Amino acid sequence: MSELGGDAARMFLDLGSRAAETLARLRLARDVRVGSTPRRAVWSDQKTTLYEYLPEAPAGAAGARGGSAGQAAARAKSRPLLVCFALVNRPYILDLQPDSSLIRRLVGAGFTVYLVDWGDPDDGDRLRDFNDYLEQGLGGCVRYILEAHGLEALDLLGVCQGGVFSLCYTALHPGQVANLVTLTTAVDFQTPEDLLSKWVRELDTELLEQAGNVPGELLNALFLSLMPFRLTQQKYVRLLTGRADQRAVEDFVRMERWIFDSPPQAAVALTQFVRWFYQENRLLRGTLELGGRAVDLKSVRAPLLNLYASADHIVPPAACEAMGRYVGSRDYTACAIDTGHIGMYVSRKAREEIPQRIISWLKARGGDPRPDR
Amino acid sequence: MTEMPFTPGSRESDAAFTAAAARFFELLKTFSAQPATQHGQLPDWGSFGSVLAGQFEQWLRSAPAAGASFAAAAGFPGATVGWPPGAVPLGPAAAQAADAQSAWELLMKLGSLQGELARHWSAIAQDSAQRFIARMQATGGADLSSERALALYETWVECAEEAYAAAVRRDDFCRLQAQLTNTAMALLLAQRRQADKLARAWGLPTREEANALQRQIRELKKALEERAAQPAPRAARRGKAVPRPKARPRPKATLRPEPKAAAAGRGRRTRARRGRR
Repeated sequence: MSELGGDAARMFLDLGSRAAETLARLRLARDVRVGSTPRRAVWSDQKTTLYEYLPEAPAGAAGARGGSAGQAAARAKSRPLLVCFALVNRPYILDLQPDSSLIRRLVGAGFTVYLVDWGDPDDGDRLRDFNDYLEQGLGGCVRYILEAHGLEALDLLGVCQGGVFSLCYTALHPGQVANLVTLTTAVDFQTPEDLLSKWVRELDTELLEQAGNVPGELLNALFLSLMPFRLTQQKYVRLLTGRADQRAVEDFVRMERWIFDSPPQAAVALTQFVRWFYQENRLLRGTLELGGRAVDLKSVRAPLLNLYASADHIVPPAACEAMGRYVGSRDYTACAIDTGHIGMYVSRKAREEIPQRIISWLKARGGDPRPDR
Repeated sequence: MTEMPFTPGSRESDAAFTAAAARFFELLKTFSAQPATQHGQLPDWGSFGSVLAGQFEQWLRSAPAAGASFAAAAGFPGATVGWPPGAVPLGPAAAQAADAQSAWELLMKLGSLQGELARHWSAIAQDSAQRFIARMQATGGADLSSERALALYETWVECAEEAYAAAVRRDDFCRLQAQLTNTAMALLLAQRRQADKLARAWGLPTREEANALQRQIRELKKALEERAAQPAPRAARRGKAVPRPKARPRPKATLRPEPKAAAAGRGRRTRARRGRR
């Protein structure tokens, strides 16, 4: 420090004091909670659990959270919306905190919201394949909901890789999906901007399958290494220089927890996803077969809302835009949101524009989700 | 679990923050300590660029990209800290000569690929520094003062990301990334084969046997589900007992069975668990 000028020394002292302050706030925020909307597990199969989110009881209302028998009956009559998240991250990003929760907004709008949580595959699940996740996992959830509501079709919201599952499921079971919403969902896995695709193109998938389940930490490293300086350095420096208060630090820590909390990936399912989608682009080429049946995107005829981020570094916009050219839906709406991949879940846009678009689009195609009101 | 690059070992935000802040301070010190900036003269861009590139390359080497990460995950300490890596943990005496030779060759290949990766890091660091200096000169920015330190930092990150993005998209880098990962996986599997030989010698179940058992369980579950999906035979519909099928011989194994939920195969309703998470 001795060789620095006076103003530089003052700057270092100021930044040093801010660093100490921010560090203290980070330590205070260590035990911050994630997830805000009450929910209950209603179905499970192996590691997969289906949750139903419950509306907050009005202040002063009698009875347990989730409402009275009357409210339960109303929920049963309302149109269910099933959210299918990716295997590679945890779904609580959709319900991170009360003021940043897509789920809460959807529940508040009157939808009966269900969420597929894939859980953590262990070594005994390493042979679990893509079709198992699709038919036993997602399919099991769909069948449960349809039976519980006495319906033939539900609304499906697929997020990221969960959107790919949702597209495949809708193509194979078109009668079970009334409306489909996809969020940051790739259809073309080989667009020029797709760095992830370039990196895995020559991966030996035989070895990958034999190597066993892939730890979540490895996938984290892969995602962060797409933009390492911004994602592992700059964001912390901005926290330091931005004079973040305790609440902002807590929001930051919630995001951090999510980013570094990735589940392991079942060996066979991940291998198939890399080979079939990234290396062979089968979904787009119409050569994908699951359980002996061809997955033809033209069979997706349900009304479809495709939301994607215009600055997405994981799923480039072109990868999502391709959807419109391949699906059979006549009622197809695509909308680019001016944000990045993570911004689709937690930015101001995520808080306002995205829920509003989904809710109004779904309501326009199914009437009021609260038929008794 | 092996500590992964880009993810702080403790996965605590404060540890990651501390590390990033330390690098930030180091960079600011580099900006501020340029003698020219203190005397109002033009900086010596050449030496400044080389200091920046050197610091940056050091960081890149300590936080390699995903190919090397997989090597780390495969359990090779050398994958993240440089060549040469440690010996095969089981030791050549524990394996047949051919296996040991194969593992050794893979280790050598991994080392050579890591050398190639290091050359990429060096090129990215140089390119970042050149981009940064070009931008400073273009904006007439001889001013490396502390007042502008934060703006300089943002510019530096932009230049670093641009240089990185340009390099890691090139075919040769992508190929190298895949080769690193493939070699690390091959090495992991070579080690497993050696471990399996030891297990067999000691009468323990091997991974191959465990896989075979899991496949059998999957087939049995599938058969059960197909049977359950079939319409019930007439006798059952009339309420008569249906003779149970003969039980298939249980596989001889000392492995633990799958958890009950997995063995059940089909989904089940859960008892409602209410309340916040």
